[in-house]
Amino acid sequence: MNTATLNNYTLIIMTDDKQVVLERILQVTRYRGFLINGMTAKVNTGNNIATIELFVSSERPISLLTDQINKLVDIKSVKVDNNASMQNTA
Amino acid sequence: MTDSKPLTGGGLLFKVLEQHGVNHVFGYPGGAIMPIYDALVDSNVQHFLCRHEQGASFSAVGYARASGKIGVCMATSGPGATNLITGLADALADSIPMVAITGQVPTAAMGSDAFQETDIFGLSIACTKHSFQVSHVDELEKVLHQAFEIALEGRQGPVLVDIPKDVQTASVKQTFAAAEHLKNKVKLPLADISKALDLLTHAKQPILYVGGGVGMANAVDEVREFANKTGIPSVSTLKGLGALDTDNENYLGMLGMHGTKAANLAVHDCDLLIAVGARFDDRVTGKLDQFAPDAKVIHFDIDTAEINKRRAADAPILGDLKENLPLLTMSLNIKGWQAKIQQMKSDYSWRYDHPGENIFAPAVLKEVSELMPKNTCVTTDVGQHQMWAAQHINFDDPSNFLTSGSMGTMGFGLPAAIGAQISRPHDTVIAVSGDGSIMMNVQELATIKRYQIPVKIVLIDNAKLGMVRQWQDLFFDGRLSETDLSDNPDFCMLAQAFEIKAKQITKKSEVTAAINDMLDHDGPYLLQVKIDAKDNVWPLVPPNSANNEMMESA
Repeated sequence: MNTATLNNYTLIIMTDDKQVVLERILQVTRYRGFLINGMTAKVNTGNNIATIELFVSSERPISLLTDQINKLVDIKSVKVDNNASMQNTA
Repeated sequence: MTDSKPLTGGGLLFKVLEQHGVNHVFGYPGGAIMPIYDALVDSNVQHFLCRHEQGASFSAVGYARASGKIGVCMATSGPGATNLITGLADALADSIPMVAITGQVPTAAMGSDAFQETDIFGLSIACTKHSFQVSHVDELEKVLHQAFEIALEGRQGPVLVDIPKDVQTASVKQTFAAAEHLKNKVKLPLADISKALDLLTHAKQPILYVGGGVGMANAVDEVREFANKTGIPSVSTLKGLGALDTDNENYLGMLGMHGTKAANLAVHDCDLLIAVGARFDDRVTGKLDQFAPDAKVIHFDIDTAEINKRRAADAPILGDLKENLPLLTMSLNIKGWQAKIQQMKSDYSWRYDHPGENIFAPAVLKEVSELMPKNTCVTTDVGQHQMWAAQHINFDDPSNFLTSGSMGTMGFGLPAAIGAQISRPHDTVIAVSGDGSIMMNVQELATIKRYQIPVKIVLIDNAKLGMVRQWQDLFFDGRLSETDLSDNPDFCMLAQAFEIKAKQITKKSEVTAAINDMLDHDGPYLLQVKIDAKDNVWPLVPPNSANNEMMESA
């Protein structure tokens, strides 16, 4: 990826707080060709819904990743935070 | 289960399987799944003991694909569970509904590197559609219902349920509560067909490109109606074979790396590609940016993630093919294109002339196709024989051709045939295999013997790993590396050791009688067909080439 143009994206993922859901998200993200630059994750113990902010970069379009994360059974929603996402050249 | 014996987690498993109409499971016992095997004794589910867990997983896949029902397999913890993984990955890649049950060490021992403990739950993440680990027996009933729902919902796939031993032995009451439905299903937009209608009515050279999704959507009739009414020339992927009527004058056969010349040239020249249940796999497209380079694309799929994944769709249509395709079914006037297609089909039809007395595998498989009874189910392994079977056998339904498409798993054919035969006891089942592939799950001959499963095995034997040898000859300067199998066992003697009738043929003149003898035999049969080691599969689209750049000889 020396000369590739990497785009940075911030994903906001809402998910049921179920077994290994975080591992599933991380596996899909790596497998589909996205680098993880950082993340925050927090569970609302009241409704058992976790909110995960995932900072990723890739030369691939972000829809390739969001479509795949959306297919995970426990996921409630995946949004790209357009304000936080930006393009740079690595 | 007698009334005096309290219901356990293991017993509950079989009660839920019965609720879902499961009559047959494939598996292998071991320490951490013993309470489930104990409960099996009292259940109405019939278990088939395979001789390796991978065999069990492929029998479940074959069962599912041949019958349209869900396939179920079981294994113990540790090595039993890891041996299922290839079958799970195969089922995920080919979208096959399957539920795999694994035993796990007791919850108190989990995470302690206990005997036969492996983190199958973690390992399952990349090779299942979803997986569960049951931490308390009270969750078991709900989890099992969810496993069935997830395996069958939308784009189908395998689901693993890992059950610790103490959960299997714990007492439990069956609630019979209705299964809690999935809350988070992907929402599909209402199909917008206006753009597709516009593309269809303006197309001069359209092609219908049919994939494995058609059979899974139970939309064979709708696809054939669409092909007939529109008159659009059609091509099929490996997994789509059987979906189209092979007698249709505008059907060109398989496309892609070993597709027909007519199919690949027609797709290259088309101005509209209507993809139904197909996903632009690399073995189909060849060099992607030169695949149907002038075509607009209408893409029907159930999986949002397949739209625009490898090829942008001008008109994506998400949802149930059975409902959506009829919305586009209309008469079209494309006579000039049809004439060109039919001319190509005639010009590039298969040829079966082959010099000498040595047997020509394509001619054998064509003859199998002509002689086999209606509704015969054919399975294959992976390699040259697989491509020859795809090219030269005609299938009348996708459930009659079971092949490991996406994963390309050697060792698939024999256990898949066992599963297919158990699901359809009254139909003929033929496993077309190769001398490399059959050795990958050869232990399943013991399963055939044990249950007297009348599978017919056509073993195409060139004493080579033929497809790899072909590529070494063509693309690696003929430097043959680890593809010689001239020290194979005596396959007929091997079959006979499992009480399977066997015959070897070496000459063209023996072919017809041998196929008839095999098909007339009531029990299992192995027909070893010796062929020339230098025979290649043609045509071949070389790697990184466009589909119109086929090689037709070395």
